[in-house]
Amino acid sequence: MIDVARLGARAGDFALADVSFTLPPGAWGIVLGAACAGKTTLLETIAGVRAATTGRVSLRGADVTTLPPERRGVGIVYQHAFLFPHLSVEENVAYGATDRTWAADVAARLGAAVLNGRRVGALSGGERQVVALARALAPRPDILLLDEPLAAVDPRGRTRLRRELRALQRELSLTVLHVTHDFGEAGTLGDLALLLDAGRLVQAAPPETLFRRPVSAAAAEFLGAENVFAGRVTPLEPGAGDAPGTMLFRAGSLALVGVGDAGDSRDVAHAVIRGEDVVLAREHGGHTSARNTLDGSVSEVVTSGALARVTVDVGDLSLVATITAASVSELDLLPGARVVATIKATAVHLCW
Amino acid sequence: MSAHAYRPRPAQRAASAGVVLGALVLLALLLLPILALLRRGGLAGLAQLGADPELRASLLLTAGTATVATLLTVLLGTPLAWLLARRRLPAGALVSAVVDLPLLVPHPVAGMALLLAFGRATPAGAALATLGLAIVGSATGIVLAMLFVAAPLYVGAAREAIARVDERYESVARTLGDSALRAAWRVTRPLSARGLLAAAVAMWARAASEFGAIVILTYNPKVASVLSYDRFTGAGLDAALPVAAVLVLLALVPLLVLRSLRASVAVGEPAR
Repeated sequence: MIDVARLGARAGDFALADVSFTLPPGAWGIVLGAACAGKTTLLETIAGVRAATTGRVSLRGADVTTLPPERRGVGIVYQHAFLFPHLSVEENVAYGATDRTWAADVAARLGAAVLNGRRVGALSGGERQVVALARALAPRPDILLLDEPLAAVDPRGRTRLRRELRALQRELSLTVLHVTHDFGEAGTLGDLALLLDAGRLVQAAPPETLFRRPVSAAAAEFLGAENVFAGRVTPLEPGAGDAPGTMLFRAGSLALVGVGDAGDSRDVAHAVIRGEDVVLAREHGGHTSARNTLDGSVSEVVTSGALARVTVDVGDLSLVATITAASVSELDLLPGARVVATIKATAVHLCW
Repeated sequence: MSAHAYRPRPAQRAASAGVVLGALVLLALLLLPILALLRRGGLAGLAQLGADPELRASLLLTAGTATVATLLTVLLGTPLAWLLARRRLPAGALVSAVVDLPLLVPHPVAGMALLLAFGRATPAGAALATLGLAIVGSATGIVLAMLFVAAPLYVGAAREAIARVDERYESVARTLGDSALRAAWRVTRPLSARGLLAAAVAMWARAASEFGAIVILTYNPKVASVLSYDRFTGAGLDAALPVAAVLVLLALVPLLVLRSLRASVAVGEPAR
């Protein structure tokens, strides 16, 4: 378990401040954030190679804030691997190992053993990361901190390595905290996602919640939400007790029904809609449960593999729908085509 | 793209010529005295090596004391260099200033300061004397003077060599179970070894050429620089020239070692 409370640390002029979260034992945490958000500083402070200036780090329920890194039982893998260049691949893997058999086993499972005998300087970026992963796992840590460890691995190797890492994590009940810029990786691996911005924790939630219900417009945009509109929110239908009501969001000529509480009325608010939640049709259909039906015309279609990103002009705003390329051709969606966009009220996420 | 060949304007040509001329004047100022010395005394000096036991003894003394001073500094100065490179010391700026200060003190003044601190009449000097390490008129004094004037060169260069090794190598080693010192020994030491060796060679060369501080503490036994001065004042320029020329020729050895080490440091630098 990693338990961090009001953690602060400094790295040159950069400051990590007031970060609190709990990652249960055996869970896989994902750390997301733009460059200079404090992701690496957070990992280094948990590992103990960087001193905490405020707050507390607890591992496995024990306060380790003042313990040196060698007594924390935490493995770390940096983005640039930092393999020891004066040692061979085997010596790197065995550096901190107490059980040579296990070290050889983990090297074989991750694909590092085939690199034995190679000079570290001759390895590719991906190979270095594989060796660095094996080196970090060789001492059998129960907490592993990963700073974009798969970034330099080729796509096929990444899928295999991700699967092997997941298997090792389950086998060893590893608690993993993993910095990544790959939102797909975050969705498939993560139990908890942490979003950092400028040294502060913006949101901590399961990845699905983080992506669907980002805490702010800036967070939504960083997380790749295709549609973020600024406007005004007023109550539409009251809720009952704790159950939410519906809200009306207006931005220029666009009016959308979303779910929320009357207390959420704001003059400045944002509506966030994921592209995959927008359904397109060529004409109005029968009755539907969706509360938002918008008429518009296609302004752009960008196909990427099996998916397409269709931009629809709706009044004075543009709405992006992510649909399959097959649907684009079935509906004959070309620029200028008239379409009807349908969005459920529950897919309209209101934030400030 | 224009088909015209690039032609510098007259002002640019004049500036370039000025730069080249300035460099040539400085190089001439540095090189001419050395060449003159070697021309007048070079071969004679080498020939005299075989026939002049005093010169041989003084060269051995110089090399021996410079080696001891360098080894002592490597032993004591490497941990200090590591601390200065890696730790934010409470009085780090002050410590750095103390380390650099001997570089700025005129060397005879350094000799006087050493005499005041470690002379026979001082408690430190008396303590050293009881251990058989009197600093006046002894090899111990020569080592002390060499260490005082040349150790800052080693510590400064060693600090730079250590700082060039990314600290995250040590961070990784520590998460793999090493203490701070063990990580420095197992990882930073080998990765900075060439830079440390270059620093030691530079220090050795500086120590071997020291005169001002040594002559205040220990005129006898004579190191090579003192011997050349002694012969110059006692018997004139011609008598001193062979000794001086040998010193210049011997200085080429550490210079060449240093050049080759610096070249390999630049090539073998680990990725940061």
